[in-house]
Amino acid sequence: MKTKFLALAAGMMAATALASVPAQADVKIGLIGGVSGPIAAMAPAMIDAAQLAVQQVNEQGGIGDGETLVGVVGDSACNPQGGTDAATKAVNIEGVVGIVGPHCSGAVLAAAGSVTIPAGIALITPSGTSPEISGLEDKGTVFRTVPSDDYQGRALARTMKDMGYGKVAVAYLNNDYGTGLANAFKAEYVDELGGDITQFAAHEEGKASYRSNLAELAKGGADTLVIFDYGDGTGLTILRQALENGFFDKFVGGDGMKSDAVINELGAENLSTFVASSPVGEASKSLDMFNEAFKGIGGDPDAIFANTSYDAAFLLALAVEKAGGKKEDVAAAVVEVSNGEGEAILPGEWKKAKELIAAGTAIDYKGAAGDHNFDAKGDVPGTYALFEVGSNGFETITEMK
Amino acid sequence: MELLGLVNYALFMAIFICIYALLALGLNIQWGFAGLFNAGIAGFFAVGAYTSAIISTPPADGRIGGFDLHFVVGWIAAMLAAALVAWPIGKICLRFRSDYLAIATIGIAEIIRLVIKSEPALTNGARGISSIPRPAGDLAYMESQIAYLVIVLAVLIAVYFLVERQFNAPWGRMMRAIRDNEDAAKAMGKNVEFRRLEAFIFGAALMGLGGALFAHFNRSITPEAIDPMVATFLIWIMLILGGSGNNRGAILGAAVVWIIWSVSEIATDRLPTEYAVQAKYIRLFLIGLMLQLVLRFRPEGLLPEPLRGDQRVTKSGTDQS
Repeated sequence: MKTKFLALAAGMMAATALASVPAQADVKIGLIGGVSGPIAAMAPAMIDAAQLAVQQVNEQGGIGDGETLVGVVGDSACNPQGGTDAATKAVNIEGVVGIVGPHCSGAVLAAAGSVTIPAGIALITPSGTSPEISGLEDKGTVFRTVPSDDYQGRALARTMKDMGYGKVAVAYLNNDYGTGLANAFKAEYVDELGGDITQFAAHEEGKASYRSNLAELAKGGADTLVIFDYGDGTGLTILRQALENGFFDKFVGGDGMKSDAVINELGAENLSTFVASSPVGEASKSLDMFNEAFKGIGGDPDAIFANTSYDAAFLLALAVEKAGGKKEDVAAAVVEVSNGEGEAILPGEWKKAKELIAAGTAIDYKGAAGDHNFDAKGDVPGTYALFEVGSNGFETITEMK
Repeated sequence: MELLGLVNYALFMAIFICIYALLALGLNIQWGFAGLFNAGIAGFFAVGAYTSAIISTPPADGRIGGFDLHFVVGWIAAMLAAALVAWPIGKICLRFRSDYLAIATIGIAEIIRLVIKSEPALTNGARGISSIPRPAGDLAYMESQIAYLVIVLAVLIAVYFLVERQFNAPWGRMMRAIRDNEDAAKAMGKNVEFRRLEAFIFGAALMGLGGALFAHFNRSITPEAIDPMVATFLIWIMLILGGSGNNRGAILGAAVVWIIWSVSEIATDRLPTEYAVQAKYIRLFLIGLMLQLVLRFRPEGLLPEPLRGDQRVTKSGTDQS
């Protein structure tokens, strides 16, 4: 009896192991994301965007000596356990030359700390916004195509001050995204600019009602509520309940709040006093090119982090080409292909980039989500704009500096 | 796939299995020996991980510590802290039985998680703590993994022998007596409340140690790691599948579940790319299916609790209340 069950267990393990016959002669990059877990709704679009870059590379001559670029999808489940597991498999079993992802900051920190940094593999996260990532001792192997939360929070504070907002209350989602943004905002708004934040409170996600939170937030007499949350989740509930009960007159959101769900659910006519910040591509031509291409494969270009995911994958492909496929040189090449110097390469211009690299000319990738000129910590400065709700959805009011 | 890569992956899995085996052994003391349904493993895991992180990281702004002490100090402190946290919780909650205790402990794990997320002064809040030193972390990738595996394995073996000794000692027999028939044990003059608390604290200390080993391995700990799915329920599945009440079963369960959990993704990756995203859910399904099968056909687990005497009469493991 006992041996039978042991044999059964061994059999199951052997079966899973046998099923893993590797495909050869391709250049692989890992696309690790929170496929299952809390951001499961966002992850597919991000992975599709990254796969778009892979597809473009293959359509335009492939990588290196006409080899096929393959994006191997891994599931980080948005937690460190899953992140390290997926990264280990990508690096060791698949033999990837670089990784795009993981999506969540905690998974990025763990995967970088225990796998990619020791193994010397380049990692570019399209959505890990935690400021902790800047501080990693990464030997120059960890990058991100999304600005650290610090940038956006501070830029939003400056813009709001310029626009004459006065007393504000801040409600933020209690996770690394919300906390990071809120703290950066507070540091700039209060400490640097002398603004007044009457209430500063975190909330948990997924509750049915936030009326008591809102009543508390309204106490200090602020007329503006700043919400750092997701517009297709808890942020929507808060905004709706604040509008219904008239707690505040004006509303400001971070990039998570710039979601079509807000307009669809609440109606543009009710959102005349709502503005949201969001990253925008600096060279808008890049963004248009990406949007067009992404629509072409049935994707929604407005999906959050789709453009950063695309950029991360395209950049990685450029770096691999530049490094001649040598894993250990990829990280250094990431900086070389996007340092602001050289012939501009826009999204999808793989063929041109390949020819230039072959000729030894310096190239500079101008991505859909920004120029991505990495600083010493592998971070990018963001370009943000403030949006208001118009008759055709979100419309830009002003650039955020 | 190169051989070296395979070895690296195997090393990684072995480290994770050892860490999970420690957690499963902790749970085995609580559930397997003492019949305490602790559904808040993640809480003690987190306490251990954060304690060790705070103690062994270099000084940082904005939170207490770090104290930059040796990792061994951190690990011992992690066990002590988890035990200390378990004490009042056990004092209050162990009066509950079975499912009520489960509800209370889920609640407590959630409280611990929220405190960790909301107290930047203590734990750096939602951002978590990074740059935790990893023993032998300066070595090359593979050497560093080997070194860490040796350390974790040594810890696991030591813990296994200690727990096994406890199990076979009069203490272990007494715990099982309390588990199987509380009134009888009480009639024999055993202090049931105190003994249950003892088991709860011992188990929690091991969970804390598991958390610390995990944090040092990843060089970071964030609230995302305290996800009940991977830090509570996966461990329950390991113990139930391996065989509660059997220490070797706990370790075997950890190995089987983690290997299937991890390796099944490699298998699903062979599906065409258009299914790559959906296929990730197969492993959640596989784990669930495995649990169902084990509960249906082998409720006592792969390695059942070793019992002396006539098995037909006692027929055990299955009728714990």
